Amino acid sequence: MRKKWLAVPGFFALAALATIVSAYSAASSSQGNSPVQPIKFPHPIHVQTLKMNCVYCHFAANKSPDPGMPAMSTCMGCHTVAGAQKPEIQKLAAYWNKKEPVPWVRIHKVPEYVHFPHMRHVNAGVSCQTCHGQVQNMAQVQQQESLNMGWCVNCHIGRSNPPLKARYDCATCHY
Amino acid sequence: MATMAKPVSPLDEPRRPNIASADIQLPAVKDYEQVDREITATLHPTTAWFIGLGVAVFFLLIGAAAWTYQIYSGLGVAGYNPPVMWGVYIITFVFWVGIGHAGTLISAILYLFRAGFRTTIYRCAEAMTVFAVMTAGLFPILHLGRPWKFFWLIPYPNWRYLWPQFKSPLVWDVFAILTYLTISSTFLYVGLVPDIAVLRDRETNPVRKRIFAILSLGWRNTDREWRHFARAYLFLAAFSTPLVLSVHSVVSFDFAMALTPGWHTTIFPPYFVAGAIFSGIGMVFTIIIPLRKWFGLKHYVTINHLDAAAKLCLFTSLVVGCAYMTEWFVAWYSGNEVEQTFFANRIWGQWWWSSAILYTCNMILPLTLFSQKLRRNTTWLFILSIFINIGMWFERFVIVVPSLSHEFEPWQWTSYRPTWVDYAILAGSFGWFSMWFLLFIKQLPVIAISEVKEIIPPKLRRRHGHGIDVSGRHVDYEADTPGEHV
Amino acid sequence: MSTETPGVKRRDFLKVIGAGTATATAIGCSSEKVEKLIPYLVSPDETVPGVSTYYATTCRECSAGCGLIAETRDGRTIKLEGNPAHPVNRGALCARGQAALQGLYNPDRFRGPMVRNGSSFKQVTWDEALNIFSQKLGSSRGGAVFINQHESGSFPAFLDGWLASNGMAPHISYDGESDSAAIAANRQSFGVAWPRLDFSSARLIVSFGADFLDSWGAAVPQQLDFADARAKLQGAPRMIYIGPRRSLTGLNADVWIPCNPGSEIAIARLLAGTATVAQAASASGAEPAALTALVKEYQAAKPGMVLAGGSGSRGQELALAVNALNQTAGNVGVTIRPAEALLGFERQASTAEIAALVSRMNSGSVSMLMVRGANPANALPQSAGFAAAMAKVPFKVSFSSVPDETTAVADLILPDHHFLEQWGDAEPVRGTLSLQQPTMDPVFDTRATSDVLIAAANKVRAGSYPADYRTWLTSRFPGGAAGHSSALGKGIAAGSATALAGTARAVPQIAAAPAIAQTRGDFYLMVYPHPVLGSRGANKPWLQELPDPVTKTCWQTVAEMHPKTAAQLGVENGDLVKVETDAGSITVPALLYIGVMPGTIAVAAGRGRRNSGRYASAGANAYDILPAAFDASGGLALVSTRARVSKAGGHAQIVTTEGSSRQHGRGIGKAIYAADLGRSADAHAPAGAQADAGGHAKSNAPPGEENSPGHHTFVGDASHEFLPGLRSPVANDAQGDFGDPKSKEKGMYDPKHWSGMANRRWAMTVDLARCTGCSACVTACYSENNIPTVGADWQGAKVFPDRTGFGANILRSREMAWLRIERYFEGGEDGGADFDTRFVPMLCQHCGNAPCEPVCPVYATYHAPDGLNVQVYNRCVGTRYCSNNCPYKVRYFNWFGYGEPNRPQYAFPEPLNWQLNPDVTVRGKGVMEKCSFCVQRIREAENRAKGEGRDLIPNEFSTACAEACPSRAITFGDAADDRWTVAQLAKDKRAYHVFEELNTFTAVVYLKKVLHNEPASSVTAPVAAPAVGGAH
Repeated sequence: MRKKWLAVPGFFALAALATIVSAYSAASSSQGNSPVQPIKFPHPIHVQTLKMNCVYCHFAANKSPDPGMPAMSTCMGCHTVAGAQKPEIQKLAAYWNKKEPVPWVRIHKVPEYVHFPHMRHVNAGVSCQTCHGQVQNMAQVQQQESLNMGWCVNCHIGRSNPPLKARYDCATCHY
Repeated sequence: MATMAKPVSPLDEPRRPNIASADIQLPAVKDYEQVDREITATLHPTTAWFIGLGVAVFFLLIGAAAWTYQIYSGLGVAGYNPPVMWGVYIITFVFWVGIGHAGTLISAILYLFRAGFRTTIYRCAEAMTVFAVMTAGLFPILHLGRPWKFFWLIPYPNWRYLWPQFKSPLVWDVFAILTYLTISSTFLYVGLVPDIAVLRDRETNPVRKRIFAILSLGWRNTDREWRHFARAYLFLAAFSTPLVLSVHSVVSFDFAMALTPGWHTTIFPPYFVAGAIFSGIGMVFTIIIPLRKWFGLKHYVTINHLDAAAKLCLFTSLVVGCAYMTEWFVAWYSGNEVEQTFFANRIWGQWWWSSAILYTCNMILPLTLFSQKLRRNTTWLFILSIFINIGMWFERFVIVVPSLSHEFEPWQWTSYRPTWVDYAILAGSFGWFSMWFLLFIKQLPVIAISEVKEIIPPKLRRRHGHGIDVSGRHVDYEADTPGEHV
Repeated sequence: MSTETPGVKRRDFLKVIGAGTATATAIGCSSEKVEKLIPYLVSPDETVPGVSTYYATTCRECSAGCGLIAETRDGRTIKLEGNPAHPVNRGALCARGQAALQGLYNPDRFRGPMVRNGSSFKQVTWDEALNIFSQKLGSSRGGAVFINQHESGSFPAFLDGWLASNGMAPHISYDGESDSAAIAANRQSFGVAWPRLDFSSARLIVSFGADFLDSWGAAVPQQLDFADARAKLQGAPRMIYIGPRRSLTGLNADVWIPCNPGSEIAIARLLAGTATVAQAASASGAEPAALTALVKEYQAAKPGMVLAGGSGSRGQELALAVNALNQTAGNVGVTIRPAEALLGFERQASTAEIAALVSRMNSGSVSMLMVRGANPANALPQSAGFAAAMAKVPFKVSFSSVPDETTAVADLILPDHHFLEQWGDAEPVRGTLSLQQPTMDPVFDTRATSDVLIAAANKVRAGSYPADYRTWLTSRFPGGAAGHSSALGKGIAAGSATALAGTARAVPQIAAAPAIAQTRGDFYLMVYPHPVLGSRGANKPWLQELPDPVTKTCWQTVAEMHPKTAAQLGVENGDLVKVETDAGSITVPALLYIGVMPGTIAVAAGRGRRNSGRYASAGANAYDILPAAFDASGGLALVSTRARVSKAGGHAQIVTTEGSSRQHGRGIGKAIYAADLGRSADAHAPAGAQADAGGHAKSNAPPGEENSPGHHTFVGDASHEFLPGLRSPVANDAQGDFGDPKSKEKGMYDPKHWSGMANRRWAMTVDLARCTGCSACVTACYSENNIPTVGADWQGAKVFPDRTGFGANILRSREMAWLRIERYFEGGEDGGADFDTRFVPMLCQHCGNAPCEPVCPVYATYHAPDGLNVQVYNRCVGTRYCSNNCPYKVRYFNWFGYGEPNRPQYAFPEPLNWQLNPDVTVRGKGVMEKCSFCVQRIREAENRAKGEGRDLIPNEFSTACAEACPSRAITFGDAADDRWTVAQLAKDKRAYHVFEELNTFTAVVYLKKVLHNEPASSVTAPVAAPAVGGAH
């Protein structure tokens, strides 16, 4: 008798607590997010078929905190001729002729209070795929990893495979 | 469990009992039936009560609105004036935690000491405790810059490998308050069980009857139940006794652990505990004196009870006063200029008025309780209790504000002035407390029926042919409880 | 430092926004909201997104022409610093220079050209505007007048050429801020406007109201030299300041001789020997004893240096007398160096010329008025009626890019580029060109006036000018365009812009001001130019919020008066007083300041501006009560009248950051007598440790340390011997020395940890012997760390009437300055003139054993292995316990969402937010913040070193405050590595920790101020200065 009547509210209390905690602890993330881009840019063709290096377009990834988006001129460098008649390429050309940049939808994003220096990771031998997933296979790019703090810390304290080590002091990223 | 004493005639009424004994009689209470009848009669809502509840809820809403506004636009709407980074909210937090202490003291410690005068007032005090702690618990969250992140103070497993800073007194607070809330509410509930059973049995409305049935946990007034009840109650009393000391010590660490002049002192734990009990008893008076009048319970909560409680109040007032004077002495004896100048500023400088209020209300006025006349004068007791409440709020004001406004760094000496948001939330806290208390007194007996029955004279029992023993073995004429024809 | 090469289309820069958004508000996780990644159209060469580009250019905030290094990130200039290679400022930069960014991104700037439309203006295109302009040019020939901001370099010559080609008179090159009396006198005596002042070789400096650390002349080079001179400690020059008000320079002086406004000349005569002490004393109201001592010391100390300022109605007379003194004493060429003159002040027009213009305009002989950079309508007192006269001119063109009193009455507004957006040059010293180049794409649809003039000229006669001003400039540059662009990297080049006609300009005959004694009133009125606002700073929130170095007031105009004066008037601090002259009256709160001559009321000019933007209206305008009086040189006499002062009734809280102006003997700003410097270390560490708390021997314990360590006399107090260097060079954990040595889990706190973090100990030294209190570091910190200003009218919580208006939040001491300059007085309690001032830059001390750390319930603040006391904004829940427990009170709380757009308290209204530093999180509502030792710079340097596969180079980088400091008082670095300068300075015998007795083991070490209490003489041999000056 007594057990029953105590169990019910107790259960509800626990449930509520669990909800709050899971809702507010950084467990929430945009993992799996895969928005439609203004132009269906096919990474597989560029990376696998054409064997282009990531840094060819994301030219600053190894020398700046900011990986860099390819300038329109970089695209048009090839696409003035290459596949110029393809509908998606024509979209690109349209932007170029209007002298407008393509409004790519951002997918991988850490909050502003996190400072993520790309070059440090790239130069330390962390592959792009470690954080961005197998982009070379993604017809439409998707956020593979959670990019949550716990996920970051995991590598920094050397629990990754292969074990990588980096400072895990708060002020390494938060300032 | 009270000792059996020989009956006394109403003429002996003025005789003052020894508060250490249980020798307080209720001559005007004749039999169990009367107890049940008169006390359950207090549970019928009246217009006055509805008005009171309305007022309480109104204030609560004001406070809630103010808090919403504050969460939206930021703590800046409150009167903070750096480096006075804590203000009305922390003051009020400590105030309510303090109020919460008398309940447990009266219901637990005095119970262990067999102080009979607690019998008729402890239920009230116990309920007050629970609601006061509920109120106090709001403030640590309420004063946060980002209240929606309050749960970061609670240690819960998370994959960021982040834990609270267990060195921080604020984390200790979380534990202290939660523990205290749990224990005191359990204690209150357990003590209520037999009374709820009585309500259940006298209840006609089926819904309420059902609810009471659930809450009374199927109490059948059997010998076995009484024995277990006695054990459980004794155990809980023993269990919550240390809390009376520990909880407010922890709260005092919020200050004592800092190196702020005026905070960084070792007398804070005992000083705070004494102050807490003092303020609690003050609040008990504020509540019980109107209550016994309106509910017509003057023959339950007799002048003798109040007299005894007033002595306790006087005692704690002296302890607190001693603590104040120790503070002055320490400031002088330490030879620390920072401490000394701060103290001078607190007492004669910028904040002289708040210190004046404090010392008048907490040290000087309670001295009147040395006079028996005033101790037995309910009007005076009530007025005094109001002064004590004010004084104790200002005690915390004097601890928090003058210290922060006059620290090591002269360039950062400032002042402090609350805004309407502070006041609204302060008022809201009283609304919140009163709301719960008002709801309580119309749902559950404010006087412990079962314990009162224990101290009414044995002659009643003779009238009914056969006796009844302490453990309350049932007798025929009480066959109003179902399923007891053993 | 990369250079800007020709051909880069900066227009492309602004197309990148991706990284620009990195300065959205931190708190309130925005990882969910859809964001765009905008690529370049054409990637500009030599720029990498997320990596700063640095452009060398020239500051135009005043006419000194300091060199700047502008840090530009993703097409936006985010920080200004001094150019270390520049001869004038040598890498330092004043607060006004720092705040040039808020002129660039000022939310009230004109968006484009506008033409008058009745009482208002209407936007027009540049073509329309240019058509109107060139038509008017054609119609109005002779009667046109062009007023330009005073500047050196090629533009004035270009402008005159252009005017001549249009048949117009040469322009009026106007600068209302510089001291034309001194300039005229210098031209007369030395043939140059502003000789270099070599403080180091002087033994005694006597300043007649010349505020050379603030607003008098070129503040930055003068400060650098002055600080170097004083840093010589024993050989340092003594300084005597004579004047009615103790300005910043006065507070840095060893002796202050108060005298009545306008009476300095009497004392100058005394020094010249043409007057007796008695005469001088009676004429000036100064103490005869002080004057006797002055004469004695002046004659003993050779070489000396005498300076004249004060801009009184007899200013030029005084300046000439002072120059004569220098000549007879043989100081010229020794301490006063005409050969190394600063050219920034040559050829500048006097205010009298503007005044003369008023009558010409009234008489209708001016057909067209063109104004660029200057603001003549506020250069003259309102009583001169410039605006009214200007309204009579048929056509008024303003090239100003911000609204002001002049644009209000203009007909056509052709907004100029900000100087950071346009080409140009300056010639600060002879033979050196300081180049000016755009550091970013124009923020708004503005055009460089030079280009507008060229366009207008080419409309009339096509091809009369090259395509744009840049071409014109480079074509005349030695080495042409190629040489120019190669020189841009360094920012300076040999060469001369124009053959400067060394002739002084004719001063129009102006009715000389009546002697101040003849004016009506019981009190002398002393109006002085605001040290940080100047004439351009009123609409820059950084400068409005920067406390005045002397009065520590901000966002407010006050009437400074001596406590005796206040008692005489029966007013308290903050009581409103009505200051009234024949010109008009203002009602302002009274501020009691012991540094004002009794009987004198001092009011700062620069606030209370009209039609000059949202921030500029704070305070009252002193020019409302100033009569239009001029000295013989044609300069506006700021000290020319007496005033009637009466209690206005009512009270206004003083908007100040000051709590107590006394340090109550707590030894925050410590000092040591020069005589004690020679003694052995233990003899004076801490100064006066042996002296008893009460009467410490004068030669041993300077005032201000009675209650500080070593001065406690009660039984049982441990002696607090200062330990050289830092007590906890490497924090074992947040508990400094008290960490548990047995614990195995030290992690990165273990010096042997692979990260090696614990081998560093970031630390700072502040040399109080150098610090002048100028507060440039404060503005540098605001600029580097995205610190919000909170004083604007609409930023407060309008809860109480007395908590609203400008400065509302500051009335509740909610200013956010991570670094503040505390200004403590020692002595002078009796209101006497003999008091000493201690300026103490107070910032987070990064304690090795920090009280704030253990009390934070969520680890939002903790100790990093490299010695930083870290504040993690996104972890903070806002209990504010850390601030309660901080003895230094250097933690600041975000009471409102200052960083959140669409809140009334938003501190960075578009486009001010363009300046935000992307490397620093913008703090959100409800979190604590504090000095981070510029951790973003530390990380940047570490990243750079890592990228280049090397270790950090000693003094490789520094904090924003240290970079800016014009007296080189602040040094930052790694105290655990002896190769860093800071590690050496921390061992200096003057070093001490503030509140050392609290065992906080601070990482900020102060070096005691040196008191030169003994009269100077020529005999003492100068002592070498200690190595100072961080990363330079």
